[in-house]
Amino acid sequence: MTEKPKIGVYVCHCGINISATVDVETVADYALKLPNVEVARTYSYMCSDPGQSLIKNDIREHGLNRVIVASCSPRMHEPTFRKAIKEAGINPYYLEMANIREQCSWVHHDIDEGTAKSKKLVAASVAKVRLLEALESKEVDAEPSALVIGAGIAGIQAALDIADAGFKVYLVEKTPSVGGRMAQLDKTFPTLDCSACILTPKMVDCASHPNIELLSYSEVEEIGGYIGNFDIKVRKKARYVDFDKCTGCGDCAAECRVKDRFPSEFDMGMGKRSAVYLPFPQAVPAKYTIDPESCLYLTKGKCGKGPKCAEVCQAGAINFDQVDETVEFRVGAVIVATGFDPFDASRKPEYGYSDYPNVITGMEMERLVSASGPTGGKIKIFNGKEEIEPKEVAFIKCVGSRDESVGNEYCSRVCCMYVAKQAHLLRDKLPDANIRVYYMDVRAFGKGFEEFYDRVRRENVRYIRGNPSEIFKRGDKLVVKVEDTLTATPLEDEVDLVVLGVGLEPRADMRQTMELLRLSQSPDRFFLEAHPKLRPVDTATDGVFLAGCCQGPKDIPDTVAQAKGAASSAMIPLARGKVVISAQVATVDESTCRGCGFCVNICPYTAIELVTVNRFGHEVEVARVNEALCKGCGSCSPGCLSDSIQPKSFRDRQILPQIAALGVFK
Amino acid sequence: MDLEQLRKTAAEVVARDDVKYLIGWKKGSYGYRVAPVFVEDAAGVAELIFSPLCTANLTTYLTLVEKTPLPRGQEADKRKVALMVKGCDSRAVVQLLVEKGIHREEVIVIGCPCPGVVDQSLLVEKYGDTEEPVEVKWNGDGFMLVRGGEEIKIPRDEVLAEKCRLCRYPNPVISDHLIGAEVEKWSPAEDSGVSELDAKDVDGRWEYWEEQFNKCIRCYSCRNVCPLCYCQDCILDRLNPTWINRAVNFSENTAFNISRAFHLAGRCIECGECERVCPANIPLGKINRKMAREVREKYGFEPGLDPEAEPFQASFKPDDPEDFIL
Ligand SMILES: Cc1cc2nc3c(=O)[nH]c(=O)nc-3n(C[C@H](O)[C@H](O)[C@H](O)COP(=O)(O)OP(=O)(O)OC[C@H]3O[C@@H](n4cnc5c(N)ncnc54)[C@H](O)[C@@H]3O)c2cc1C
Ligand code: SF4
Ligand code: SF4
Ligand code: SF4
Repeated sequence: MTEKPKIGVYVCHCGINISATVDVETVADYALKLPNVEVARTYSYMCSDPGQSLIKNDIREHGLNRVIVASCSPRMHEPTFRKAIKEAGINPYYLEMANIREQCSWVHHDIDEGTAKSKKLVAASVAKVRLLEALESKEVDAEPSALVIGAGIAGIQAALDIADAGFKVYLVEKTPSVGGRMAQLDKTFPTLDCSACILTPKMVDCASHPNIELLSYSEVEEIGGYIGNFDIKVRKKARYVDFDKCTGCGDCAAECRVKDRFPSEFDMGMGKRSAVYLPFPQAVPAKYTIDPESCLYLTKGKCGKGPKCAEVCQAGAINFDQVDETVEFRVGAVIVATGFDPFDASRKPEYGYSDYPNVITGMEMERLVSASGPTGGKIKIFNGKEEIEPKEVAFIKCVGSRDESVGNEYCSRVCCMYVAKQAHLLRDKLPDANIRVYYMDVRAFGKGFEEFYDRVRRENVRYIRGNPSEIFKRGDKLVVKVEDTLTATPLEDEVDLVVLGVGLEPRADMRQTMELLRLSQSPDRFFLEAHPKLRPVDTATDGVFLAGCCQGPKDIPDTVAQAKGAASSAMIPLARGKVVISAQVATVDESTCRGCGFCVNICPYTAIELVTVNRFGHEVEVARVNEALCKGCGSCSPGCLSDSIQPKSFRDRQILPQIAALGVFK
Repeated sequence: MDLEQLRKTAAEVVARDDVKYLIGWKKGSYGYRVAPVFVEDAAGVAELIFSPLCTANLTTYLTLVEKTPLPRGQEADKRKVALMVKGCDSRAVVQLLVEKGIHREEVIVIGCPCPGVVDQSLLVEKYGDTEEPVEVKWNGDGFMLVRGGEEIKIPRDEVLAEKCRLCRYPNPVISDHLIGAEVEKWSPAEDSGVSELDAKDVDGRWEYWEEQFNKCIRCYSCRNVCPLCYCQDCILDRLNPTWINRAVNFSENTAFNISRAFHLAGRCIECGECERVCPANIPLGKINRKMAREVREKYGFEPGLDPEAEPFQASFKPDDPEDFIL
């Protein structure tokens, strides 16, 4: 570096967040005595407009060329201060932040300790800031299109918003139909709108929208590239039914040799379907699919004298020669909306879900009460002996939620309300039945929730506080063993039907999606957002956003709100047509790189590749960083045995003096 | 060992236009020593030997060759190098392939199934040193020392090298030409050296290594002989930043030895060369074998077996055990 460093140090009070445990004036006085520090000031809120102006004026007046802000985590305000110093005419990367809040004032109680540590942190920043290099960020073009993975209500809504704004959307759904879990619901709390009535029009819209390319019965196989330019490969699974020819008449399913022999996924196994099927009558696209696992012809190679479906199909749509197809395209942004799995009730064996047919889950109840369900909406259940209309019904809440024994500490947020909803629907259908709900707490937090809960209680649904310990059979009845914890009375409650209010879990197959997009999980195992408060729909990968229950349990209104949020965030790069690539990326010293490729394997963003270069007449391989992909995370650096790859601004020669200044080593 | 076959194969290999030379062992000029030899033409193959004295791992020479700057217009010599390897040595070749230190088309591997080599220091101890070059042969289950016309039978366990007692791969795991038949594997001895240290508490281990590292004279022989210490620019030699100070004292010696151990975790193929060459008799094998044991037991990984393997230090699985993180 040729110019002499002229450093300004700005110590923030952060109201009393910092100043209560750090004597900021002392820190500033101390800083002024450090080498090359020209000015050192304190201010109540450095990030505020006057705070920033203070820095900018000093840069102009004192000719500062390096700035240190001693305040909060760089995650908060590094961009703020970079912008400020850039406006005052110096390279935005000539900034160093000393985190004296999260790493100091918030963890110390004693002002002397806090002050002493702040001094060290500032001294360390002074040691480093002089060694920083000027960096320039670059811009690349962004493809004006988006990929949405998963077509539940979250994916459908996100796709519609982006498409309505005029951008092309590829909507990829794993199953033969869009709709997700919401399509299986009967009515929706708290307003009791019919789920199908509000969802079906959106399903139809997303299939017919000129800007949406719906890839149903498809899976994303590969995602390469980076924000603005993701290269996508999707596998369209063979339906064995010609998509264009199929009219959706259903003759094939009616005549299938194994007609209505297989549990219908849509009806939670309570209804049956044929090997060739439409998941449900309102399915979109209204095209039949042959399930390769149940079709006689596909499993055994033979179906009577010849496949019945092919025989009866007027349109000639059945095609057993169909094979999977791969489509490739490029998008500027990706939204993950892969939803959830209902908790598997057999993991709570004490509730006998696997043993008794009259212990069912909330998801099954949705189908049972539905007029389009397997019983046409009649509440008929088999109690092991006969089919009956239940007189005594018990709901159990929090099954698989708030339960460390199954590894789910979180609240599933919808069970309280869907149980109330189902109790209400049952009350409608079974006016004389005794209905009770066993609960730990009732969390009626949303808009209209408390009102709805009150309404259900007034409908003679009894709420009993207690977490049942066991369900067993006694004669034709099920016994719910529980303690009423409000009266401290042990109960053995005899009922005809138990409904388990199962919670929401991360999808069993989420790992695939995680690996495709290099996403992380939060402790509850749902996908991790970039910041729990300020970036709830973003992920750590730029250009990849989250919507719906894949990020955590939520009800439909929250899902839709998040989907709209994700859509609007995803549209930012699409609308701008350009994306800024961070300048803080890793670089390789090609003269020492041994071309081992360790870093290539390590990089979580696949940002590195080996290239062949000519080193004084010899062809050698060396690592090269794709700056658009690199996030500057630094993972590669410790993996390199020859110390050849280092993130800019965090090079060894920049951070070792910083560490040395802390007095940790000589 | 079929010397005929070795020399015949070697002659054929070095006669090829696309072969630069063959690296093998030849008889030494002093006592129990043998020497490496670079054979460039068929005439040279007569010198080649393979005997229980061929302890050295010649793989090191593959990466020791410096790629000196070439005058403009001059083509790099892309001919292959042929190399004699024992079982352990062959794992170094595989590990180099994994790390792209060499490429498969650059080497011809002459695999020599190995019944176990001798520890020359034990020979000296038991049978006395000698200036005259002597011969040691495999003889049934043991060895035979031929000295001044006299033939002395030596039981295998008396002088077998430690690495061979522990050896799990006496047959080359990779080769283009195999000399003679594969040997029958023996059941490796329990690594008591490592287990005994493992049994000590932290203070006990520290005391042990303090004593050992204090002896280090920082000659870097261990690094230089190691087939897998081949960075162009080793971090030990860096000045900015200076990771390890030049000073020879306990602190820097420890930093050096621990860095080397970490750099070799999941890479060391246990050929024992570092320990063999250490003039200070530091039991370096124990460090590397301890690391190898951890890697094997915790991560189910053994280096130098599969050329297609992902390098251990660069592989990550979300369910990797991480109980070592404090
Ligand atoms: C029993 C029950 C009752 C409920 N009742 C109500 C209610 O009354 N009111 C209310 O507001 N909320 C209710 N909910 C919550 C509601 O179901 C969810 O809020 C909503 O379904 C979340 O939508 P989603 O799009 O995020 O996920 P999902 O509905 O799970 O949709 C995800 C979609 O993504 C697809 N997919 C998954 N992985 C992939 C992949 N890798 N590639 C391609 N596609 C993929 C799936 O096939 C699916 O179509 C209830 C939940 C349950 C369990
Ligand atoms: S890990 Fe280091 S030496 Fe190996 S390829 Fe990457 S930069 Fe080069
Ligand atoms: S810093 Fe290294 S590991 Fe991290 S993204 Fe960049 S190249 Fe990959
Ligand atoms: S060979 Fe021995 S003395 Fe020499 S540097 Fe290695 S450990 Fe130290």
